[in-house]
Amino acid sequence: MGKNGFDFVKIDKTVIKETKYIASFVIVFSVLMQAVFLIIGKWHYTVLLGNLWGAAVAVGNFFVMGLYVQKAVSQEEDDAKKTIKASQSMRFAALVLLTGIGVVIPFFNWITVVVPLVFPSIAIYLRPLIDKNK
Amino acid sequence: MALAIGIILGCCALGAGICMGIGAIGPGIGEGSAVAKACEAIGRQPESKGSVTSTMIMGCAIAETTGIYSLVVAILLIFVAPNIFVNILKSAM
Repeated sequence: MGKNGFDFVKIDKTVIKETKYIASFVIVFSVLMQAVFLIIGKWHYTVLLGNLWGAAVAVGNFFVMGLYVQKAVSQEEDDAKKTIKASQSMRFAALVLLTGIGVVIPFFNWITVVVPLVFPSIAIYLRPLIDKNK
Repeated sequence: MALAIGIILGCCALGAGICMGIGAIGPGIGEGSAVAKACEAIGRQPESKGSVTSTMIMGCAIAETTGIYSLVVAILLIFVAPNIFVNILKSAM
């Protein structure tokens, strides 16, 4: 995109590393969620599709946030504030839209669309425990 | 009956709107000020850019958690709660 949009020609190693960490946790939690649905006997293909959709939205949101943080830290203080606020508004609008689509479309189980959105937060809360073990 | 259902739907929509509106304010302000301070820190110590960026990404994700919770509540209010409330109303009548 143009000079005022995404200037993320080179994605920072930190962003890739953190996104990989979050994505791996989202996959683990998604497998656990699928297992729970299997155990309670409510598994259906919509559960899997909804989970894939929700997980993709959650990881995508985190990745885009990382890109904007990468952009913001190379700017002046006020510009960085504006960039992050604008990114937050846009990402939130996209989240509402994509999650709404996931809930409305009958091919997706709405629970499995919504639940993966909180997986990145859980992964971050668990991080001190994992870092402690290393 | 129709009026009661209308009130339920209206209240659910209003609640979802208020939830999203208020829920999105906090993360916006929090992330903005955190990144501004991070820029200040990088300005003082440019060699710490990598670790500050990493901490910032995690901090922003944490700050956004409340917004995501409000999004989940709003979605429940729009798509799930009306059916439950209307069913309760119908069974009560």
